[in-house]
Amino acid sequence: MSVGWTGSSLGGRARWLIACFALALLVASQAATAVPVFNRQTGQNCMACHVGGQFPELTAYGRLFKLTGYTLGSRTIPLSVMGVEGYTRTEHTAGADTSNFPKNGAAAFQGASVFVAGKVTDNVGLFAQVTYDNYAQQNDQGEWVGHTSADNMDLRYADRLIDARRDLIFGVTLNNNPSVQDVWNSTPAWAYPYVQSSFQVAPSTSGPLLAGGLAQQAAGAGAYVFWNRTLYAELSLYRTANGIWSFMSHGISNGDQTKLRGANPYWRVALSHEFGAHSVMAGAFGLDADVYPDNQDPTGPTSRYRDIGVDAQYQYILDPHAVSVAASYIHEKTSWAPSLVEAGSVSNASDTLSQARIKGSYVFDARYGASLAWFRTSGSTDQALYGGGVDENGEPLGPPVIGNLAGNPRTDGFVAEVFWLPLQWVRVGAQYWIYNHFNGASSNYDGFGRNSHDNNTLFLYVWGAY
Amino acid sequence: MSEYHEQRVPGGRILAMALGRNVGVLALAGCALAGCANLERSRDVGNPSVAGKTLALQVCSNCHGVDGNSVSPNFPRLAAQPQPYLVTQLKSFRGHDRRDPAGFEYMWGLSRKLTDAQIDDIATYFHDATPRPNPAGSGRNADVGKAVFEHGLPDQHVPACASCHGDHGQGHDQFPRLAGQHADYVRKQLFVFQRTDERPEGAVMKVVAHELAPAQITAVADYVQGLASR
Repeated sequence: MSVGWTGSSLGGRARWLIACFALALLVASQAATAVPVFNRQTGQNCMACHVGGQFPELTAYGRLFKLTGYTLGSRTIPLSVMGVEGYTRTEHTAGADTSNFPKNGAAAFQGASVFVAGKVTDNVGLFAQVTYDNYAQQNDQGEWVGHTSADNMDLRYADRLIDARRDLIFGVTLNNNPSVQDVWNSTPAWAYPYVQSSFQVAPSTSGPLLAGGLAQQAAGAGAYVFWNRTLYAELSLYRTANGIWSFMSHGISNGDQTKLRGANPYWRVALSHEFGAHSVMAGAFGLDADVYPDNQDPTGPTSRYRDIGVDAQYQYILDPHAVSVAASYIHEKTSWAPSLVEAGSVSNASDTLSQARIKGSYVFDARYGASLAWFRTSGSTDQALYGGGVDENGEPLGPPVIGNLAGNPRTDGFVAEVFWLPLQWVRVGAQYWIYNHFNGASSNYDGFGRNSHDNNTLFLYVWGAY
Repeated sequence: MSEYHEQRVPGGRILAMALGRNVGVLALAGCALAGCANLERSRDVGNPSVAGKTLALQVCSNCHGVDGNSVSPNFPRLAAQPQPYLVTQLKSFRGHDRRDPAGFEYMWGLSRKLTDAQIDDIATYFHDATPRPNPAGSGRNADVGKAVFEHGLPDQHVPACASCHGDHGQGHDQFPRLAGQHADYVRKQLFVFQRTDERPEGAVMKVVAHELAPAQITAVADYVQGLASR
């Protein structure tokens, strides 16, 4: 979570509050998911739509199901539920304030979701998720307090003109997260990791605004076409999800909600090709967003975010084998609102931030799977933005563990994962995060001697949905 | 909305008009649509009023191709398959008689509410489709594959495929077309026949395939994939 779109009024406490907020958002957006109601609607096995049954990663057929507005099949009770139980262990916690590592070395239920999803008419369908996070925040007594909030939502109207000579799918989407409407798992909303610990130490920024910064904060409407299963094009406009659209940001307080000025365009193009058991895609996407510097006072000059991404995906699916690779690179340039510069909330008039990700996975018989992913967030150094630097006594300005001495967003590493699907609705997995850089450095990144590898994290989980 | 109208960007107002003010209309439209069907382009496999051809185009084509020439070998080619064979298969999926993995994972659900008339129409649609060439399989043991197809393996009591499926693998009545079928699909189905009772409608194949060695199954599957279309 980049700090740029949080309020400037936080002043000197910004880095602390932002880190907490980032953690809270991370918790809120944990488990991207699949929906068994779709399974009941089509009567098909999950693996028809999900690569090797690995929800939420979509097969070519799953992509068509989504693009045709979730309307394939016959109407059914449109409800599903989902929950995640996890065990988290951070590599090195000795000597650090234990409050940085809640539930470390312990099993914890990490929240549950209810979905309203499926076919409404022959042209209208939806996917709407509401999530209860039982570890949403801590009160003054240090007790955890649960919280219910809107999660990913995507309402569609779609139609398809198809005969032997042409195949044109077209539709409109109303959603609350730029790229949640996308059907390739290389764009941010549905990209790997598909499940993650709520209690992992979070870096200063999780990436560009497009990589989740507007999730459940904005409401957008867009139109798309998919021609001959080859060319996909979409244009959407996003605004703040308040007023009549506040149901899409339910549970997000006014002070925590990013405020956008006017309509902010998100665009997407992709070329897809299927041959034999293979499918490939190459695409590009972007977001231009004007963000008010103060969430509480959405007036005056804004910060301008210009995000451009490129992505690619490869899949080989021939039962019982399923191989998939997804990659993306997003570059962001932010021109900060003058008020942020004047207040000293940022050191530079503009900053850059990039995120690169690549993931490969193999699933056998829709039952046993393994993934390996590499990720890197990098960008310009900005001492004020990331809370870097030292005071007059040479002491780091930032706190231990979540501090960022260098004032640099560089965080990179690997995620290795193995999983097992004993049933098509249950996934049991082990995930290990290796950080080669964290908050700008590999060693002593917080100024208190903590190294990036100290944040390496083991996450064991059971993820079920019905 | 009042908060929104304080914003000063024309685009914002446009969006507000497009999304905000018209939400009531949209909601009403949604309610109205809930009672509507788009029969000409429906993907509703539970509505008996939808024509079988429409389902073939809107649903079956996703995996089997709009002309029945599926791209992925995960899904069999249906173009020019004998109509009676396709009817039998769809009814067998619907009745859960055919229960090989490819059948129940993908087809049980989609066929569960199809009417006999829809099944007839779907089968006719794909029977009338023109088959396209399918690049030959690995090409290994092509001689073996050709021999099994044309002459069978008398020593192993394996009859020639051509004797029932036609000289060119074109199929007939309840015997499916093999010409151009994906080798991977043929191979898997031969193993299903040989090793399981998951396809009772094709029980005759259990005897036929019983003595085939894995290498011979692969060879004949590769061979039929490369058979010329006609």
